[in-house]
Amino acid sequence: MIQFEQVTKTLGGRKVLDAIDLEVRDGETLAIVGPSGTGKSVTLKHMVRLMTPDAGQVLVGGEPISEATGRDLERLREKFGVLFQGGALLEWLNVFENVALPLREKTQTGEEEIVSRVREKLRLVGLDQDELKHPSEISGGMRKRAGLARAIIRNPEIILYDEPTSGLDPVSARTIDALIDDMRQKLTVTSVVVTHDLHSALSIATRIAMLSEGRIVELATPEDFIKSKVEAVVRFLEAQYITTRGSWEKHTNETKNR
Amino acid sequence: MITREPEDFPPPRNWVANFGRMTLFMLRNTGRAILLLFEAVLQLPFIFVPRTRREIILQMYVGGIKSLGVITVVAGFTGMILALQTGIELRKYGQEVNIGAAVMVSMLREMGPFMTGLIVAASVGSAYAAQMGTMVVSEEIAALEIMSINPVRFLVLPRLVALAIMTPLLSFYSCLMGVLGGALVGKTQLGVAWVAYWQNATRYADTKDLYVGVFKAFMFGIIITIVACHQGFSTTQGAVGVGNATRRTVILSFLTILIVGYFITRFFYV
Repeated sequence: MIQFEQVTKTLGGRKVLDAIDLEVRDGETLAIVGPSGTGKSVTLKHMVRLMTPDAGQVLVGGEPISEATGRDLERLREKFGVLFQGGALLEWLNVFENVALPLREKTQTGEEEIVSRVREKLRLVGLDQDELKHPSEISGGMRKRAGLARAIIRNPEIILYDEPTSGLDPVSARTIDALIDDMRQKLTVTSVVVTHDLHSALSIATRIAMLSEGRIVELATPEDFIKSKVEAVVRFLEAQYITTRGSWEKHTNETKNR
Repeated sequence: MITREPEDFPPPRNWVANFGRMTLFMLRNTGRAILLLFEAVLQLPFIFVPRTRREIILQMYVGGIKSLGVITVVAGFTGMILALQTGIELRKYGQEVNIGAAVMVSMLREMGPFMTGLIVAASVGSAYAAQMGTMVVSEEIAALEIMSINPVRFLVLPRLVALAIMTPLLSFYSCLMGVLGGALVGKTQLGVAWVAYWQNATRYADTKDLYVGVFKAFMFGIIITIVACHQGFSTTQGAVGVGNATRRTVILSFLTILIVGYFITRFFYV
């Protein structure tokens, strides 16, 4: 679905991505993890051409998005829904209007159909009671859920999540995790989640890629990832995971049983 | 694309290199602002879309009607000062009745459009830059681009049209307020009758003065919107960047208004 071929990117004199190869498969949830400043968000931005590689290329469905412009870029971007870190909601529009925006601006959908689709997506993310509130009146977690509703309003094939649980309390973070899992199951979309929250990544991902010093040092299923012997992964696990191993296993079992 | 990748350059080796870099940046930014204007002009057919039309009306209210208070005070007092200063001098020759012409011509040709431009730049332009800058920082512009919603059509076009309409109207209104202020001083301080003041003012003022003043204000409206939106879209570095974009908008708008105003005067009157 998405392929990185020898993608290199230098920012601030530092190679943030160093000739990385990566494939995101159809229908999977790939989590990209790593400490801050290792290029996770940069990787995500390359997927929707908010950044272009210095070398190499990014392919979406076999087409090079890194070289696309104009209508080609627009067509390729239509495959994506993106949930930004802060939700990126327009402050002067209420939740309903924010979610309806892509339909109103980019489609000829009638108002009745818009209302029904927006309400359906808001119900999916649990915001059906808050559609008239403005972004400044809702919590960080609700903003992210509204952002997610907007991201899926045009039924994208791929959803990108940029640090979906950052800045949230543990309960809200787990709610977002459960929503990401729901999206994959109910909408059968491909998901890419950029996060430094390993607990979240282990719960929702079908594969986890670890970025360190501009390279992908590990790419494995969650089960194999926690057994990895790669030094950067071991250090990352130690920093976050050792104290939460038990709770992760408990949480994962609970999620699977739901 | 409005969203730009972060740029990094090695520190300049000496002041010559620094000066050269600043010059190149200035030229590049000027070019980008002109391209933004062209892109906005290309979007003009979309002003008939209902959402854009509603947004234009909202921006006309925010940028125009809400500026009326400050413009009334500034223009009124400017007219009063003009009348008083010229009146004191003219009274030495018994010609104080001519303050009407002095106030009217000054307000129509220069003071009205300039004052309006400067007030709109400081109040509305800075607000535009802050809003665009905040939207860049909070990734709202990036979100629009990913949704394939053109930020120029969505954000710049309604503001451009609104200020292109409202700045000339505000300029005309400021002229009116200035002339009224002058008349008030003429009557109360210099003993010039209302009728004499008005007859004198209209006898020397030309319709060309009105047209040129309105044209100037129209150009200032466009300049303010483009400078503000361009500066806002160029914002980097979070809250500090938004502050810098706002400050630069006011400074650049003031400078551009003065320079363009001079050339328009030169073109029409020399």
